Amino acid sequence: MSFLPVQYLKELWLRLRWLSGRSRFHSELGDEIAFHMESRADELEQSGLPRAEALLVARREFGSRLKAAEDTSGAWQIRWLEDLLSDLRYAARAFRRNPAFAATAVFCLALGIGANTTIFNITTSFLFSEPSCRDSASLISISEGGNSSSPLADYKFLKDANVFAGMAGINFEREVNWRQGDSTRRFYAGMVTDDFFSTLDIPFHLGRGIAQGETDTAVLSERIWRSVFGADPAILGHKIILDSRVYTIAGILPENHRSVAGFGISPEVYVPVIHDDEYVQFYARLPKGMNAGVARERLRSIFAQIDAIRPKQDWKRADQVTVTGVTGFDMLNQQMPGAVTAFFLMLLIVVGLVLLLACTNVASLLLARASSRSHELTIRLSLGASRQRIIRHLLAESLLLSMLGALAGLALNLACARLLKNLVLPIPAPLRVVVLPDWRLMLYSLGIVFLSALLCGLLPALRAVRKDVNTALKQEERHTARTWNLRSLLVAGQIAVSIVLLAAGFLFLHNLLRATAMNPGFNISHTLWAYMRLVPDQYKDAGQAKQTSLIHTVLDRIRALPGVESAAVTARVPLNDNCVDEIGVRTDLSATLVPVRYQCNDVGADFFRTLSIPVLSGREFSSTDRRGAQAVTVVNESFAREVFGNINPVGHTLTLDFNGAKTRLVVGVVGDSKYFTLSEKQQLAVYEPYFSKDEPVNVKFVVRTVSSPAAYVKAISDEMGRLDSSAAVEIKPMSEGLGLALLPSRAAAVMLGTMGLLALTLASIGLYGVLLYSVSRRTREIGLRMALGATQSDVLRIVLRHSLALVGSGVATGLVLAFFAMRPLAFFLVPGISALDSTAFLAVIAVLGAVALVATLAPALRAVRVDPMVALRYE
Amino acid sequence: MLVLRTLAAGPLHGYAISRRIKQCSANVLDVEEGSLYPALNRMLLKGWLRAEWGISDTNRKARFYRLTKDGEKQLAAEAEEFKKLITAIQLVMKTA
Repeated sequence: MSFLPVQYLKELWLRLRWLSGRSRFHSELGDEIAFHMESRADELEQSGLPRAEALLVARREFGSRLKAAEDTSGAWQIRWLEDLLSDLRYAARAFRRNPAFAATAVFCLALGIGANTTIFNITTSFLFSEPSCRDSASLISISEGGNSSSPLADYKFLKDANVFAGMAGINFEREVNWRQGDSTRRFYAGMVTDDFFSTLDIPFHLGRGIAQGETDTAVLSERIWRSVFGADPAILGHKIILDSRVYTIAGILPENHRSVAGFGISPEVYVPVIHDDEYVQFYARLPKGMNAGVARERLRSIFAQIDAIRPKQDWKRADQVTVTGVTGFDMLNQQMPGAVTAFFLMLLIVVGLVLLLACTNVASLLLARASSRSHELTIRLSLGASRQRIIRHLLAESLLLSMLGALAGLALNLACARLLKNLVLPIPAPLRVVVLPDWRLMLYSLGIVFLSALLCGLLPALRAVRKDVNTALKQEERHTARTWNLRSLLVAGQIAVSIVLLAAGFLFLHNLLRATAMNPGFNISHTLWAYMRLVPDQYKDAGQAKQTSLIHTVLDRIRALPGVESAAVTARVPLNDNCVDEIGVRTDLSATLVPVRYQCNDVGADFFRTLSIPVLSGREFSSTDRRGAQAVTVVNESFAREVFGNINPVGHTLTLDFNGAKTRLVVGVVGDSKYFTLSEKQQLAVYEPYFSKDEPVNVKFVVRTVSSPAAYVKAISDEMGRLDSSAAVEIKPMSEGLGLALLPSRAAAVMLGTMGLLALTLASIGLYGVLLYSVSRRTREIGLRMALGATQSDVLRIVLRHSLALVGSGVATGLVLAFFAMRPLAFFLVPGISALDSTAFLAVIAVLGAVALVATLAPALRAVRVDPMVALRYE
Repeated sequence: MLVLRTLAAGPLHGYAISRRIKQCSANVLDVEEGSLYPALNRMLLKGWLRAEWGISDTNRKARFYRLTKDGEKQLAAEAEEFKKLITAIQLVMKTA
């Protein structure tokens, strides 16, 4: 006999086939045995016995037919599977008899499992997205000198070195203006090398990618194809104008395309790199047999060659060469800020708690069921069923429940994913996470099903068989006033856990309110920002002067509009754009280098007046602060205090310690404000004049209006369109433009608020269930008390006391738990809100108290309505 | 092994198998009916036998068992094993 797995699989296959044709097998076996006996009888008959006797002898000789049949089919059976199936069938029958119980349990589990799988699905889709391309395992992302993107010239050099089986370069952070008729809008573009699509081998919905040598083809994302071009199936070959150039549409990506950058980054269009001064991210396909370590060594020597030919002043390309995969933990560790990962981890923990709550609910329901079924179970035990068998049977019940719960939960999950698909995050980046059910989700759900089946079922099952058969059979256990049974403990635990979740939810809600109402240090109510993206080719050749004069003209026109108080040009709009520098600074007061980390911005004249940021000392920039004039700077209050101490910095000089940095004269000190997020700690800031530097093609303006800023959007947009019709214009009141700054608070408040509500729902169902059950078990006791003269209020007091004991101990434990569990959350909060926020705790206790009261009401009323006569007669 | 050997000559039905074994062993070995069918089914499961319905010589519907390639191999292996065992026992009986 061989133990080869092939043999085993063959047997398993035969067994399964047997399982499906079981009834035929049995009838055939019956025929066969009958034939056997008749043949024997024939033989006996020939030796002289009469037929009837011969048959009898044959039957006697054969022995028990039933036993033979059982042994024979035993050869084929997969014992555990059949037992499981029959247990499940039995459980299903039991649930059909008690649909209210089954529905409650499945509902609880569906909430718990649905929340879990949804968050798991989102987390894996976001953090571990598998790019849409061939064999992503052989793809690597390369960086030279620690930079995320590098010049095209280096890319070409590396490609010519011919180390890899293919290379692809892309700049994910480009934008292009799309002109159609009289309007212009901006697309997020991926600018790719002409080998990008062929190296990655990206699947297409329609058409093909940008091919070798092409400079005038474009690829559209499905989203743009659908929303802008109406999903026109005949779009291929059409011309579109992007940044004043004509492109032919070559292909449409599939709806569920995931880019190689991961984390949901998905450009709206792809166009080929045209200019040699472009920067791209490097991707390469490893040839067979080459691993990341070898690739890194090869790259190091190639980058050293480039260093020798085109040296950089401050750094070497070969110094920090990294090679990372494009999927999994490798990419996560390299490219994701820890806070985001921590946020998802926290969510997973929270939904884990919710599942725990759901399971305790079901466990408590099963406990109640088990004790009302104890009679049945003890009879089965005394008839010889093994304890193991009964435990298995009870576990099958909870397995069935959790399978049903998982099915409902997955339906919930799919609905959530559909909602999420249409969600546009208020982020100035093309971020769309494709959330689809995949094998990871299926595995996870399966794991959850078994875990929750065990969590729900094990305790009740073990308890059910613990009892002694004799005492249990004699009399159905009479329920006494012993209140602290296992179920009560479970409910108290539930209340404790939901206190923690609710408190976290309220904390983040409070956080959101505070963040929304927070004064960021500049005016939000009467300002708007206007964003004008110019087509680079139209200004590049004409030099900076053309753009400078356009900006001045735009400013003049806006300022001339009735109702506009002031307007200014700026490189960065606060709470929308980020720019952090970390460097040593020196002043004319001391020779020591002070290391500082500060926010930088380049702003035009009137910027501070427009945003109502107070000028505390000196002046703000004027139109004379420009290229060629004396280098000047404005710092914020915190910077002045950090670097100059108590001395007023106006009139002193400041030198930033990097190559070619000029010494600047500090001309003003302005008030502190928020720069990138509302939750940031107060940062230092350095402002420089807008026109003292090369100007970016993304021109941003801030405008102060007399009345509500929304009314000015159209007028400003028209002015800008008249001045340069090829520019993409986007204008928003400042209050609407804060989406990004509020995103962390909003996301946390929505997620944790939802989870808190879920937890509360589950805990109140649990509380209600326990009280109702205990009242029904104590009907006799209550009836007796009433017969002996207890009043309705006495009875009410009994139930209320029980409820109060449960809720009180739960709340007390929960508060202690929350006290410790909430501390790490401080990481996510805006300043001014402590993780141990007393408002949140008070709100939680109030809400929980109210819900507990409602959950107590029905059982209490039922207790009061107990008719002593009926109750006693029952005795 | 005995069942396999009986079937080596050609397909037989269950009753015939038990009779054949009894006859060949001069009534010494009596295969108990109760364990014959479970054994046959175990061998079906292992793939040593194949079963098909046919008509017996008494003109009744009967299930005939036939040896497969795997079954022949198994028979050869078991016969070899058995021969070794017998030789060993005989050796012990002679010398000890």
